[in-house]
Parts: sequence; C-alpha cells; structure tokens
Amino acid sequence: MDPTLLLAVNALAGGLFLLCAFGIVTMRQVRGCLNLFIAQSLLLAASAFLLGAAFDSWHLVGVGIVNLIAKPFVIPWILRRMLHEEIYARREIDQAVNIPTSLLAALALVILGYFLTLPILEALDPASRLGNVAIGFAGLFLGAFTLAVRREAVPLLIGVLAMENGAFFAGIAMSRNLPFIVELAIASDGLILVFVVGVLTRMLHRRVGSTDVGALAALKEGEP
Amino acid sequence: MNLFVMLAFPLLAALLCWRARTPGIASGATLASCIAVLVLAIDTAFAALRGGTVVGVEIAVAADALSALMLLLIAVVATGAAFFSRGYMQRMREGPARLWFYYLNFNLFVFSMLAVPLLVEPTLVWIFVELTTLCSAMLVGYENTREALEAAWKYVALSLMGAAIGLLGFLVLFAAMQAAGGGTYTWEGLVQAAPRMPPALIETAFLLVLVGFGTKVGLVPLHTWLPDAHSQAPSPVCAVLSGVETTVILYVILRMLPVLDAVPGVDLQLWTVSFGLLSVGVAAFLLIQVRDYKRMFAYSTVEHMGIILVAAGLGSAAANYSTVYQALTHTLTKSFCFYAAGAALLATGSRDILAQRGLIRRSPATGASLLIGGLAIAGAPPFAVFLSEFSIFRAGLAEGRYIAIGLLVLFIAIGFFAVMRHVNRMVFGAAAGAAEPFRLPASCAAVLVVAAALVIVSGLYLPPPLHELLQRAAARMAG
Amino acid sequence: MAERVLFNLLQVAVVMAFAPLASGVLARLKERVQSKRGPSVLQPYRDLWKLFHKDEAVSEDSTWIFRFTPYLVFVTPVFVVLLIPVLTSYPLAFAFMADMVGAGFVLALGGFFAALAAVDTANPYGPMGASRTRMVGFLAEPVFVIVFFTVSYVAGSTIPYIVQKQWVASASNFFAPSHVLLMAAFVMLILAEAGRIPVDSPEGHFELAMIEESKALEYSGRGAALMKWGGQMKFFVLMCVFLNVLVVPWGLADSQSVAEVLLAIPLVLAKIFVFILVLVVIESSLAKLRLFRISEFLGAAFITAVAAMITRVFAF
Repeated sequence: MDPTLLLAVNALAGGLFLLCAFGIVTMRQVRGCLNLFIAQSLLLAASAFLLGAAFDSWHLVGVGIVNLIAKPFVIPWILRRMLHEEIYARREIDQAVNIPTSLLAALALVILGYFLTLPILEALDPASRLGNVAIGFAGLFLGAFTLAVRREAVPLLIGVLAMENGAFFAGIAMSRNLPFIVELAIASDGLILVFVVGVLTRMLHRRVGSTDVGALAALKEGEP
Repeated sequence: MNLFVMLAFPLLAALLCWRARTPGIASGATLASCIAVLVLAIDTAFAALRGGTVVGVEIAVAADALSALMLLLIAVVATGAAFFSRGYMQRMREGPARLWFYYLNFNLFVFSMLAVPLLVEPTLVWIFVELTTLCSAMLVGYENTREALEAAWKYVALSLMGAAIGLLGFLVLFAAMQAAGGGTYTWEGLVQAAPRMPPALIETAFLLVLVGFGTKVGLVPLHTWLPDAHSQAPSPVCAVLSGVETTVILYVILRMLPVLDAVPGVDLQLWTVSFGLLSVGVAAFLLIQVRDYKRMFAYSTVEHMGIILVAAGLGSAAANYSTVYQALTHTLTKSFCFYAAGAALLATGSRDILAQRGLIRRSPATGASLLIGGLAIAGAPPFAVFLSEFSIFRAGLAEGRYIAIGLLVLFIAIGFFAVMRHVNRMVFGAAAGAAEPFRLPASCAAVLVVAAALVIVSGLYLPPPLHELLQRAAARMAG
Repeated sequence: MAERVLFNLLQVAVVMAFAPLASGVLARLKERVQSKRGPSVLQPYRDLWKLFHKDEAVSEDSTWIFRFTPYLVFVTPVFVVLLIPVLTSYPLAFAFMADMVGAGFVLALGGFFAALAAVDTANPYGPMGASRTRMVGFLAEPVFVIVFFTVSYVAGSTIPYIVQKQWVASASNFFAPSHVLLMAAFVMLILAEAGRIPVDSPEGHFELAMIEESKALEYSGRGAALMKWGGQMKFFVLMCVFLNVLVVPWGLADSQSVAEVLLAIPLVLAKIFVFILVLVVIESSLAKLRLFRISEFLGAAFITAVAAMITRVFAF
C-alpha cells in the first residue's frame, strides 16, 4: 500500500490517541476510564501495524500483535477478575483539581511535551520524524498528570498504563529496531504490574472499605 | 556460570516458600539462598578483580567491577536481613501463618535486585527495576494496616510513574544509538557509540532517566513516597530497601554518566550536582522536624542518595572513587541503622522518638546500637561515612567546586545535628514507664553485633581487595 | 453569473425546505431507538402550517424587540446559507460577502436578539432561559473562534469554500491529528449550540430546566412558527458547515451544470441523515448534564480545539 496514505492514517490514530489521553485525565466514571484505556491501546496497536506496513518491518507488526493481545484484552480481564465489580460502578465525586482547571493544565502539559520533542525530532533521521513522537511524549505527561489529580485506585493504575502507552507510542516511531524479546518482556512486565496493583487494591478494599486512595492521607510528619 | 547460579538461588528459594508454606522451611530456604548468593558474589568480585569482566551471556549478562560491587552489597544486606527476619518476624503481630508469603516476596525481591547489575542491556535493566518495585510492594504493605497499605500504594504509584518516564528515556537512548550508526545496545556499546550521538537526544534521554529513576531513588522532589514506605515496612525489609535498593537504582543512573561524558558538547554536570544538592538540603531540613525514628533514617537515605549523586556529578577520578566508597559505607551503615531501629521497635512497640526515652537503660544492646548507628549515619568520625564524605569534599575542592562543596558541608552539618538530637533523646534521658528488661531475639542480636562490627571496622581499615574493587569500579564509572 | 445567483437561491430554498424534515427525522429516530413509534417525519411541516394559521397573542408590556425578533431569527440562518457550501464546491455569487467569522457573528446576532426578546416580556422563565443560553453561548464562543482560526491557518483563508478545497486536496490534511481533534470539538459545539443532549433537552417541557426552548416560550402564531423554523434552519446550517467543510467535503457539485447541482441535493441530505444517526446514538446514550457541568463539557471542547491548533502549529 502507499506509504504516504499509511502514514496519514497513522496520524489519524495519533490524533485519537491524544483524545483518549485527555479523556483519561477527566473521565469521572471508573468504567469509562477503563474503556478509554482499551481504546488507547487499540490505537497503539493500530499505529504499530500501520508503521510496520509503511516501513516494511515485521518487527513492528509483532509489536502491534503483542500490544493488541496484552493491553486491550488481558489487562482488563485481569482487573475484572481481581477486583470486585462494585469498584467499576464508581465515579469520582470531587477531585483534587476541578475538571476545567485540570483540562487547562493538561493542555499546558501537552504544549510542554511538544516543546521537548522539537529538538529530538531534529536529531532523528527524516523517516522517523513522525507525529507519533510528540503525541507519545504528550501522552506520557498526561498520564503522569492523571496520577497527580485522580483519587480512585483504578484510574490511577490506568494513568500508569497510559504513561507506558505514551512511551511506546513514541518508541514505535523512534526506536523501531528494539529487539523483539525486549518488547515481549516489557509487555509481560505490564501484566505483572497490573496483577500486583490489583492485589494491592484488593487488600486496600478489604481493609479500608473503599478504593479512594486520595483520602488516604494519614502518614504525615505529625503522626508517630 | 556463576552469575546464573546466583540468580537461580533466590528463585529456587521462592519456589520452596510457595510450595512448602511453612515458616520454618521458608526462612531456612531464604537464609540458605542468601548465604549461597553471598559466597557467589564474593567469588564474582574476585573474578572481576582478576579478569576484568565476568561474562555470562555475551551482550546480555555480564558483571564488571561496578556490578560486582553492587552484587556484593546486595548479598551482604540480604543475608543480614534474612538473619534478622528470623527473630524479628516471630514477634510480629501478623502471626506465623503468613510468613511464607513474606519470604516468598523477599526472595523475589532479592532476585530482581540481583538481576539489575547483572544485565547490561538498558531495557532489560528497566524491566527488573520495575520488578523490584512490584516485588517489594507486598513487603511494604505486609503488616496490612491502613498506614502500611497507604505507604505501599504511594510507593507503587510513584515508582511506576518514574519507571514509565525512565522507559521513555531508554527508548530515546536507543534512538540516539541508532542515530549514531547502530551497535550493540549495552552499557559498553553505548560508551563506544557515544561520540557520534546527537547531543539533543542524549540530553533528553539522561534527563528522563534522571527524573524517572530518580523517583525510585528518592531524589527530591519525587521523594514523598520514601519516608512512608521505608518506615511502614518491617524493619529487615527497610534495611534492604534503604540500604541497598535505592543504591542499586542509583547505580543505573551512574551507568549513564560515562556515556554523557563521551558525547561532545554535552555538559550535564551542573544538573546532576544541583539535583543532588537539592536532595541533600531538603532532607537535612526535613530531618529536623521528624517525629518517627524510622522516618528519620529514611530521610537520611534521601540525604545520602543526594550526596552520592553530587559526588558522581563532580566528574573527576577521585570523585568517582569517593562515589563508590560512599555507596559502600552508606549501605553498610544504613542497614545497621535499620536493624537497630527494628530492635528498638521490638523493645518499645512504638515508632515515636519521644516515646523512646532512656533506651540505653531499657535494653543496653538496642540503645548502644542506635547510638552507634545514629553517629555513623550522621557522619561522625571515626566511622566510615565520615571518611567517605571527607573524600568527597577533598575531591570537590580539588576540582574547584567551592560553592557546591560549601553547600554540601552546610547541609550535612544540619543533618548531623538533627540526627544527633533525635538519637540523644531516644537513647539517653529518664526512661518513661517501667523499665522491664528486654531480651532481643538471638538472631537479631547476632546480626546487630556483626553489622556493628562491620560499621566500626570499615571506618578503620579497608581490606586491599576491597580497595582495589572500589578503584576498578570507579574506573568503570569514567568509561 | 446568472447561474451562480440561481444556485445561491436554490441553496436557500433547499435549506428552507428541508430543515424541518431534518428535525422531524431526528425526532422520529430518537423515539424509534427507544422502541416507541414516534411522530411522522413530516410533523414539523404540519406544526408550521398550523402555527402560521393561528392568531398571535403579544404581551402589552413587550417592545418592538419582541415583534422584530422572529423575523431576525428566521433571516439570519438564510444569510449564512448564502455564504457556506451547501450544494456546490465552488464559490457562488454571494460567497465573498462575509467569511466564517462573519457567519458566526450573524448567527450570534440572531441568538442575541432571541435572548433579548425572552427578557422583554417579563415572563419569569424567559430571562432565566436567556441567561443560561448566554452562558452556553459565551462558553462556546472561544471554541468557535479557535476552530475557525485553525482551519483558516491550514487553508490560508477564512472563506468556507476555500477551506473546503484545502481539506479535499490532500489526504495528509484529512487524516492529520489536528483534523480529528477539530471534528471532535465541533461536534461538541453543535450539541451545545443546537440545544441537544447532553447540554439541553429539546423535548423537555419543564421550564425550570429549559435552555434553548425558553426563548420561544412566549411566542404564538406566526412568531412561534418563524422562531421554530429559524431554529431548525440554524441546526441545518450548522450541520452543513460541519459536514461539507470539515468532515465529508465530497459529493458537492463541481461544475456549473444544473443537473449536477440537483444531484447534489440528495447527496447532501444523505450526509445529513448519516450525521443524524450519529446524533441519535449520542443523544440516546448520554444523560443531560447538570447546569454547572456544561462548563466542563464546553471546557473540554475548548481544550480539544486548542490542542488541535497547537498540534497544527507545531506541524505534527
């Protein structure tokens, strides 16, 4: 297929990826947040496939397949199995920062991410100068911001996973030839991550009765 | 071959813990594997001294002098913590039924820490760094109280955030290597390809790695999880976390420094030194107002990580030597401090400094250990930490970095007075309440004695092979 | 030249004729999705006919604004139709009278007078609805402006026809990340400006919760018919702008032949029908937002539009 058309559709995937990242920052419902993460992972896999076809790289196609299996399917399955169904029906009533302000801060972070990638794009070879890199950086920062503002446990975990999605999204454009075994190992590492955090969340739910980790502020200097 | 066996032992012990599920077998297996790992680590250190680099699998698993030093440190602290756990965990509220879970995680944690210096490909290193977080999460939250779970959650969330940033850093590093014309993606290969790398890429990669892995090391301003996690975990785990795990992650950052030095036109020394000084300063001030002695030792870890980073940023050969020397002394001393803190917790049952008055009367062994530990970690002569800090000052002054060293001295002095004040209040003074005699468990006392001996001796005498190992490791830091 | 004027008038006629049909189809589809039978798609025509034949009752306390507004609300979308591509892809006779910013102002003029008229009658629900409409309006303004400026930055001009050519021109423009972000922002804007769920409930009869509907509360007879028709035409115009300029710029007549232009009519209607299906899905799956959450909704639209602009400026 025509590489320019593939790259153009890849840019479309990038735009939707950024939209999903914004949504993860602000979506109040836990279930909605999880669905946005699934959508984002599907877009990552799609981008990997498109870039693999455009650059004739089976390696990238493999990366896409690994991501397609691990993130949109296995991770939500693990989470569903480990955590009580009730956790997914929640929505956050109040946030650390209200939604319009957090959206503005998210926008500022995206601009910061773009600035950071300008010198990087100049230093890369011309074939790698895709929008992926900038959107990946922006996705990383937006995921970190999610970790800062969200209060519920599952959206925090999704923020971490969204950060990794962003890093990968930049990586498939920049570091195309990373050994495949490494990609496989990183993906399985993601699964272990979800498993451990799921166990921790379950312990929290049993002990504290809710997964509102933003309310856990007992450890301060005043307390012995 | 040694290297694989070293990795296999903790895994086998973990497997045994999982299958057997009895505390006796679990602790015994853990102890045996840690001792085996210690023997193998000493052997590897000698092999590195003789031959240069011990190779397991070409371009994947290898140990040079710096790695061998790290392995040695991990092995020593792991063995000590495993011994200490035997006595300590019996007295825990949790009861013996869950102990197999503790030892299972302990072994997995040791396994993941051992793998970090052994692997030479950055992305594989990243995977195991993330595994250290995941394996120790359950250990931090082991006591299953609300505070412990909160600490575990903060630890996991912040560490994973740092890990994702570090992942992007390593991906940019890989892109930098591709732009430099390719090569093997190992620490060696990076140093060789460095002269051709575009400066923008390597700078971005280093800053991302510094911020990302710096979160796990506990550098300010990303340190907020550290006092909570390193105080809520059971004391032997704290010893491992504070003593050696943060150092191992800092080792990963240190591995990038020779790459930076070899790229023309990149000067990130100022960043490194400033970041380090920030950590030392903030930790010193936070030490003044701390009220929980385990948190005090945790802040001291933040301070020392800053000191090591400053020393690494100074850049001369003497500074490199003092970096690895500081790492060694800090590990030995900090683990001893946490053993002492664990003993104090067993003696009084509370983490509050003010509740500890007159510890020396209650339990002379505990009081003396806490006193020695406090003095040592604060940097009093004639202990080893004082010597290593002094060597940092000398190296810095030789380089002409007067402002940096001046600030460093000021902050360390503030920290010194803060720690001494707290330790003084804990150890001396009128004992509050009935001072019934307190018996330390035998294994705890044994570990305290051995660790104290190490702390005292290392200040007076450094065995020549160890000195040689430190010099070789410092040479590896220069590329 | 004469043909261009003819086509312009044909555009106006098409919009005037089919705007009620679009509303009727939307209402019926929404009801069908809920397993109800729904009104006939020609019901809006019957309503307009009925209203035109009824007497008007005008409050004694109202001023000329109240009497003047229905005509203004009816005429402003007609003006905008003259400026935008509805049937043809090349500019017509009056296309250069104003650009997109001007068209936005003209639409806003109608909304402004409608809000004034709502206040004019001293009916308590009128000003309440008017103030809410103004709130939605001023929150939506920045989004409009950013969207327009981004598309004109790409196209190099603010005339809708030229913008549309730019999008049709290259695939890379069409698939660019900024394009999909702009489409998302504009959809949210249409939902807000046309008073659809999640911003407002168009079939609701509860005056305390009305936003758009309360503007037409006091009108009867001819005034009500003109307000209704004007509202339907504004919705149709917004959809035309969205579809013909941003999303699906194809299917418009390229040459001056009458046959092609007439062929473009069913194509435009088909595009609008597909968009109405999408709207039905959105409306049926969301709930109306509480009033203070509308600012979050429009804030999200604003951020999306600015992100689109930033992405475009950085040339990603």
